Amino acid sequence: MLKKILFQFQDRSQLIVAFFGALIGFCFLMLAMHYMVRVGDFGKANEIIGSNTLIIQKAVSNKSTLGIGKSDFSDGEILHLESLPFIEKVAPIVNNSFGVSLQTDSEAVPYFRSDVFVQAVATEFLDVPLENWGWKNGDTFVPIILPREFLVMLNTFASAKGIPQVSDDLAKSIDFKFTIYNSAKKEWHKVRILGFTAELSSILVPTSFMEYANENFPTAIPSKTTQLMVQVKDGQFGIFENYLQENGMESKKSSMIIGKLKSIATILFAVIIGISLIILLLAALVIVQYGQLILANNKENIHKLLLIGYAPKKIQGVINGYFFSLFSIILIASILSFSLIKFFVDRLLLEGGIQLSTNWTYQSFVVVLLAYLLLYLLFVKKVAVRSLVKYN
Amino acid sequence: MEIAFRKVVPLPLAHLAFSEESIWQSDFIIKSTEKTLLNASSGKGKTTFTHLLAGLRKDFSGEVLINGTSLLSYSLNDWTDLRKDKISYVFQDLRLFGDLTVEENLKLKNDLTEHLKEEDIRDMLAQVGLEEKWKTKVDLLSMGQQQRIAILRALCQPFEILIMDEPFSHLDEENAKLCLNLIIEHSERQKAGFLITSLGSHHDIDYQNYLNL
Repeated sequence: MLKKILFQFQDRSQLIVAFFGALIGFCFLMLAMHYMVRVGDFGKANEIIGSNTLIIQKAVSNKSTLGIGKSDFSDGEILHLESLPFIEKVAPIVNNSFGVSLQTDSEAVPYFRSDVFVQAVATEFLDVPLENWGWKNGDTFVPIILPREFLVMLNTFASAKGIPQVSDDLAKSIDFKFTIYNSAKKEWHKVRILGFTAELSSILVPTSFMEYANENFPTAIPSKTTQLMVQVKDGQFGIFENYLQENGMESKKSSMIIGKLKSIATILFAVIIGISLIILLLAALVIVQYGQLILANNKENIHKLLLIGYAPKKIQGVINGYFFSLFSIILIASILSFSLIKFFVDRLLLEGGIQLSTNWTYQSFVVVLLAYLLLYLLFVKKVAVRSLVKYN
Repeated sequence: MEIAFRKVVPLPLAHLAFSEESIWQSDFIIKSTEKTLLNASSGKGKTTFTHLLAGLRKDFSGEVLINGTSLLSYSLNDWTDLRKDKISYVFQDLRLFGDLTVEENLKLKNDLTEHLKEEDIRDMLAQVGLEEKWKTKVDLLSMGQQQRIAILRALCQPFEILIMDEPFSHLDEENAKLCLNLIIEHSERQKAGFLITSLGSHHDIDYQNYLNL
């Protein structure tokens, strides 16, 4: 009955406009947050090297080929890079100075052996479980990360031999071993493939293993730092690329392009989130204004209700309940719209060959629930209590 | 319940001189068990008096105490509690909800305390000759019919005292009598009293308390 008194004879056109405004705001907020997270995650699932991480080296020029220019990084240069504002962290990639070859170690697979080149980087740059990534003298296995090209090469070899090709998972189950050596001695170590990376062209080993082998199998060739692993700050790939060009350094082009695209997409989605919040705020103001209009139009009725014994809290409860239901309907409608749009966008992306995860992101729901709560609290603060009390 | 007046003068009437019989600037007590009549000609402050008792006016000098507590210290919630089940009102301007039906107006009040059953409300409506108006919008009723609905609404709650401001001003003798019978029946059932303001008619009741302006 109270609802009928307060709401039945009101013009709802303003409310309908606000409803769609809030619906669009909520929906775009969810979409922008969802795809911002998904773009941020892009490539992470298949890549062992951490996000925003690039491997840089000095550009090869005629000078360096002739031995006039330096191709390695000095400690001073590494420190300078670390101090740059757009760089999160830097670590040298340590090369092997010992001889090393990789061969299959199982009778179930054809014999395969190749001299290889191994490198080690700080663990913090890798997306691998720490408990698996370590080695100490006496361990049964040396964990390694293989360049994806190695698997391609292995499959080319398998194909030439007329044996079935191997997948990532199957490759991980094949037994391999390292032979490490110098002119004086050699040693064998069983290895276990932990994963693959497209970022490196050499085999990654734990730093402890690299230190052990460099120390125990020294050769005349000293170990130089010719590559660095650099983690760039979010959205700073453009600045970083310019810096590399200006300072005669280079990075893998595809990684740089992906990084830059991710930066641009993240900025765009952040802008959409900002616009969504502005739309929501405007819709909230219209709803608040509508609530105040309801109170103003019902001034006489509210006065009568108070006179026959209705508590302000009860009247307020009816008004709040009405708008709570309205906000909930908007929320549900926007989640449904979001789901529908997400379904079509995901399909379009998939058709375009972009492998974004289609799973839901909890962040999109958290942000929309927070916005919903703030909207409701703003309404309760601006409309109900104070306005009712002044009518007695 | 006792409502005590201590030399009360509404501020708009402060410039006037009052007789010894006048309630203004006098000390007197209204007991909720008594039937009280406030008789005065038009414009003497009857509505001001009832509004003061309804908490609608606070512009007066002196003191009004409800059960020993100053009326000015009552909060909005205190008034809500009083209006719900201690003091019931029939205002001169009725204050019904014109867009609602008779049924809705009466139930709106009754729903607060579930004081009466629907059949009791319908019986009361029949007693005042308005049983066919149950589903009629109040705005479509005559003033006399609306006045009867306002009286019935005031009876749809428990009360210790019923305050009525010229409740029969639009009613003929017969309808006034019918309403009065209902008021007396409900008051006696609850051991409650009532206060009527009137332009001069006594409506053939033995009042325990007479007030003048």
